[in-house]
Amino acid sequence: MPSTSVTVSENAARTDPRAGKYLTFALGKEEFAIPVLRVREIMGVQEITRVPQTPAHVKGVINLRGKVIPVVDLRLKFGMAEREYTARTCIIVVQTEQDGAKMLTGVVVDEVSEVLNMQAGDIEDTPEFGRGVATPYLVGMAKIKGKVKILLDINLVMSAQDLHGLTRCTDDAIA
Amino acid sequence: MAETPLQLNELASDPELVNDFIVESREHLTTVELQLLALDQDPANVEALHAIFRGFHTIKGLAGFLGLDSIQEIAHEIETVLDLARNGSLQITPAHIDVILAGKDWLNQSLAALEEMIHSGKPPALGRTAELLASIRLMAKKRDEEDPVPAALSALSPAQETRETEAAGGSHSIKVDTQKLDFLVDMVGEMVIAQSLVKHDPDLALGGKPRLTRNLAQLARITADVQRTAMSMRMIPIRQLFRKMSRLVRDLCRKTGKQVELELIGEETELDRSIVENLADPLMHMVRNSIDHGLETPEDRVRAGKDATGRVTLRAAHQAGFILLEVSDDGRGLDPQKLLRKAREKGLIEKDAQPSDDELFNVIFAPGFSTAEQLTSVSGRGVGMDVVKKQIIKLRGKIEIVSTAGKGATFFLKLPLTLAIIDGLLVGVGGEHFVMPIFAVREMFRPSQDALSTVENREEMVLVRGALLPIVRLHRRFGMRPKSENLAESLLIVTEAHGKRFCLVVDELIGKQEVVIKSLGESLRNVRGVAGGAILGDGRVGLILDPEGLFGKAAA
Repeated sequence: MPSTSVTVSENAARTDPRAGKYLTFALGKEEFAIPVLRVREIMGVQEITRVPQTPAHVKGVINLRGKVIPVVDLRLKFGMAEREYTARTCIIVVQTEQDGAKMLTGVVVDEVSEVLNMQAGDIEDTPEFGRGVATPYLVGMAKIKGKVKILLDINLVMSAQDLHGLTRCTDDAIA
Repeated sequence: MAETPLQLNELASDPELVNDFIVESREHLTTVELQLLALDQDPANVEALHAIFRGFHTIKGLAGFLGLDSIQEIAHEIETVLDLARNGSLQITPAHIDVILAGKDWLNQSLAALEEMIHSGKPPALGRTAELLASIRLMAKKRDEEDPVPAALSALSPAQETRETEAAGGSHSIKVDTQKLDFLVDMVGEMVIAQSLVKHDPDLALGGKPRLTRNLAQLARITADVQRTAMSMRMIPIRQLFRKMSRLVRDLCRKTGKQVELELIGEETELDRSIVENLADPLMHMVRNSIDHGLETPEDRVRAGKDATGRVTLRAAHQAGFILLEVSDDGRGLDPQKLLRKAREKGLIEKDAQPSDDELFNVIFAPGFSTAEQLTSVSGRGVGMDVVKKQIIKLRGKIEIVSTAGKGATFFLKLPLTLAIIDGLLVGVGGEHFVMPIFAVREMFRPSQDALSTVENREEMVLVRGALLPIVRLHRRFGMRPKSENLAESLLIVTEAHGKRFCLVVDELIGKQEVVIKSLGESLRNVRGVAGGAILGDGRVGLILDPEGLFGKAAA
């Protein structure tokens, strides 16, 4: 774990809004990071109730102490190959905002790594990947101990339209 | 419409302060409206006048504090008029009430604009005030030409005022965020279910354990009490909703030239806040329907030997776990012949069909149906009663019409006490558990092979008591693998959607359970055929089925 003093991180926060504490997790060989303030809790995989007629990356819903919340498999969401859930597989419950409304979503990842304090100096902008690669939710890259962490804007990842892709016109819309 | 941007001081940039202002002002405006209507009925009602004055006075003060000048100005001008009325130099007429109501409406709109500002951060655009101000000021000026003031108005004693204030501040109450309340009710619902699961746990084997039995019974009693209290916290009397109708009736009377007396019975009946909110629209359409279609003009009424003033009655009552609502009028009643003609014109009924009166009454709920010969600003477009029906079904209620030609018509509504808990049947399909709301289940059976038939080898039908009902296989709808493709080994549930019966095929019936309905979250709100989720006895989430969504067009 990095041992940075508080003053340094405060200075860093002033220079780059992206600096701060991040929770890092792995999907395959890639390491991702989301702001720790977005994370509500981390739990092992529990029984997920499938919801019909939803895209493959929506795994279903779970019971979070009496609350029903949707669960998204980040591998499938990012178009990576599906993998059997193991004892290391985790659900990260994140709080996101959609049109001002706060909501909780479970995100399935391969493995949760650690909480890292990222300073402005560690963070670089996402490189241009060339033609047609839309990466709106990648906010930057951080190099920590020689490893690259991909910083995610989880709000954009979870953006509702993308999540369900099924806001259809209901035929009983009231005239 | 020209809109003036609102000037705000820095206090107004604190969303909490602004929100408090909105909440408090809304409360005052609601009182103001009620009292205005009371004043309209009885211009000598001094207490009503005082209450209205106080409302505007408080809003003026609060608006001044936040630097909301245009709101302050309107409130101030209205206050001036009311003050004149208070000290006896102006007599309130219906025209005055119209203007004050307009002012009240403008304030309501401004509050809505402010609310939007909090959410969007954009400066609020308020409607034009100049005309409104002018008409209010005009009222204040015209006082010299008015009639002398009735004695009651000038004979105000300060004692009356203090009494009113005491009454207003008498009830001890606190404001609680509705979200917290909803969460509490939710969790209490879960507690009730968990409690009942413990009680019925076979491992406990209560026989021969009197102490445990006693303690569990005690727990059950306490849980039930807690649930009742929690529910009651979310219950509000239907009064406010009924009073809103007074306003509507008043407006409609002025527009249609009919004389209407509105009678409100059972205003104190309490029901869930969410139901009250969702009832506002249907009730409005029904009252509008009663006045516009039901009641005759004063001349016609006199000719028919009735009192020139028509009567519309709203009645609310509790009955055996349901709320009964009635909207009745003593007008001409529904005319089956006219309905039949119109229904045939619109192709809602077969040319040679001979429907019963009840069936005919139901056509008024068809979208686009209207018997009004002419389009008026009040009705005739045929939107309205179909909205009523839809909304009532959404609230899991029922609606019935009773009508006698020449005597009037009554709409009966039957609604559940709360929307939070439903009785459900736990059914299994392909290893998953679903909850089928019991109110939607007509019957269940396992079909015999010879009752089944197919159409074009694709669509399946089953013969139930002489009626052929279409079959919807839940596993096909939801893309799952059933225990058995053979219908004779499955369970058929007869249910209803869009007024038509059909059979839903599931693998098996697992049990019956009370469940608390939960939303699947904003992102999964529009899943067709799923009404929500519920926590089942084993802690898993079960999806609640929605027959309306399962039947009809397959999901695109």
